[in-house]
Amino acid sequence: MTDFRRLTGIFIAAIGLALSTPHAQAQQPDRGDEPGLIADDGYELDPEWQKQVVYFRTTEAPGTIIVSTAERHLYLVQPGGRAIRYGIGVGRDGFQWQGLVNITQKKEWPDWTPPPEMIQRQPYLPRFMAGGPGNPLGARAMYLGTTVYRIHGTNRPDTIGTKVSSGCFRLVNRDVADLYDRVPVGTKVVIRQKPEL
Amino acid sequence: MRTFRGGLLIGLAVAVLVGALAVIYEFYDTRTLKRTVRRGEVLCGVNKGLPGFSIPDDKGNWTGFDVDFCRAVAAAIFNDPNKAKFVALDASERFKELQSRKVDILSRNSTWSMARELDYDLYFPAVAYYDGAGFMLPRARNKETSLDLTGSKVCVQAGTTTLLNVADYFRANNMKYEEVKFDKLDDVVKAYDTGKCDTLSADVSQLYALRLNLSKPGDHMILPDMISKEPLAPVVRQRDDDWMMIVKWTLYAMINAEELGVSSENIDEALKSKKPEVMRLVGTEGNYGEQLGLTKDWVVRVIRHVGNYGEMYDRNIGEKSKLKIPRGMNQLWNAGGVQYAPPMR
Repeated sequence: MTDFRRLTGIFIAAIGLALSTPHAQAQQPDRGDEPGLIADDGYELDPEWQKQVVYFRTTEAPGTIIVSTAERHLYLVQPGGRAIRYGIGVGRDGFQWQGLVNITQKKEWPDWTPPPEMIQRQPYLPRFMAGGPGNPLGARAMYLGTTVYRIHGTNRPDTIGTKVSSGCFRLVNRDVADLYDRVPVGTKVVIRQKPEL
Repeated sequence: MRTFRGGLLIGLAVAVLVGALAVIYEFYDTRTLKRTVRRGEVLCGVNKGLPGFSIPDDKGNWTGFDVDFCRAVAAAIFNDPNKAKFVALDASERFKELQSRKVDILSRNSTWSMARELDYDLYFPAVAYYDGAGFMLPRARNKETSLDLTGSKVCVQAGTTTLLNVADYFRANNMKYEEVKFDKLDDVVKAYDTGKCDTLSADVSQLYALRLNLSKPGDHMILPDMISKEPLAPVVRQRDDDWMMIVKWTLYAMINAEELGVSSENIDEALKSKKPEVMRLVGTEGNYGEQLGLTKDWVVRVIRHVGNYGEMYDRNIGEKSKLKIPRGMNQLWNAGGVQYAPPMR
């Protein structure tokens, strides 16, 4: 029964993705990716997206990452009912997902090999790009489970707080470096979505 | 013939008496819902001027979190948020004025406490905003918790509960501190801004408002900890259950709407939803609205005109406002906070 449900879920998700992909492409040019642009490290985020310690009550253990796509915030759970909150950029409509994953790999100034499905949607993207300040993955990347998704930096700090990506979560380079130093490989990452009507 | 005329007179007298009683009954009917409906507007007792919560502009248009909540009640009853009329009340007189029926509801940053319900014969239906005393300090001090504030000079207003809360907190945690107090809030802020103390203590909602007036607001932060409980809630009179139920469930409906993802932006979509919880909320299933003495679509009216709890929060005091108070404790219970509404079923 569970397997059948899971299959049905995957099937529905696949249909959803198939339906939403051309739509997203037609409606929104991919303003979020601009390989080669050098990140403006002096860019000042709105207070809403600035890193800050907030009250956060949860049953998840300290050290867990909780991503709230609807809020565009990433929480790193701390002891004592607190969390460090970072502003993030999330997936475009149709490119959002939820679930529980672990950080499986960490990389500094990662190289970028856009996955084939991304190349298909955005043919102008490079097939490979070496790590560096012009790389859309920015200063750090944390791999999420076996998915193609990452928590990474960005060369477009102005996209924090928006829905732009293909499903990845982006932070400004300063913040992603801060987060990177706080979380080891194996860290639990909970990704939450807005409820559906 | 005589007996017929006598009977007629007695009948007439009885009719007049019944009529008079009915008029008197109508006039003295203490049920607020009935009186409100007959009057055609809700009388809301609000704070004279508290940025983010209730403040009039120079044309007399009121805005704020407390103001919007009263508009939500008006929308639930009249399908028109402009049927809320605002009466500015002082802190000292507010409970007596609610009791003497000058207003139908207090929507005015009042802390819910047992003594207030008992002393004034009032009722606080549900918590609209969890507040509490906290600390503001320069960002450069790089502190993450108020337990790190030992040895601090604390600026605080004299004669407030904050003063007592600070004393209790430092004593309970075996921390030394120095009290720097002033009678006027302006002097407290000035002293802090000119570096005469290390931290300023007041209710957290107030700290965010005070920060706006500092010479460099961005250089200061408010710690997430609260050292006292100040649950702010609307207030109604006791033994006025129909009215109390409307006020209580209007707030809970707004919180439940946020939890279910129903907002002013997707309310038309929500009306087509087949999810039972959403259907009960918007009245496409069940008739809770009618049981409250309203219409089936009462929540739709609230959400369409005022929005859900999160929308009301963001617009007035949250990230989309000048104050930018993080949701903190006022986030939903399943997203890091303690805002929790009983289910509507």
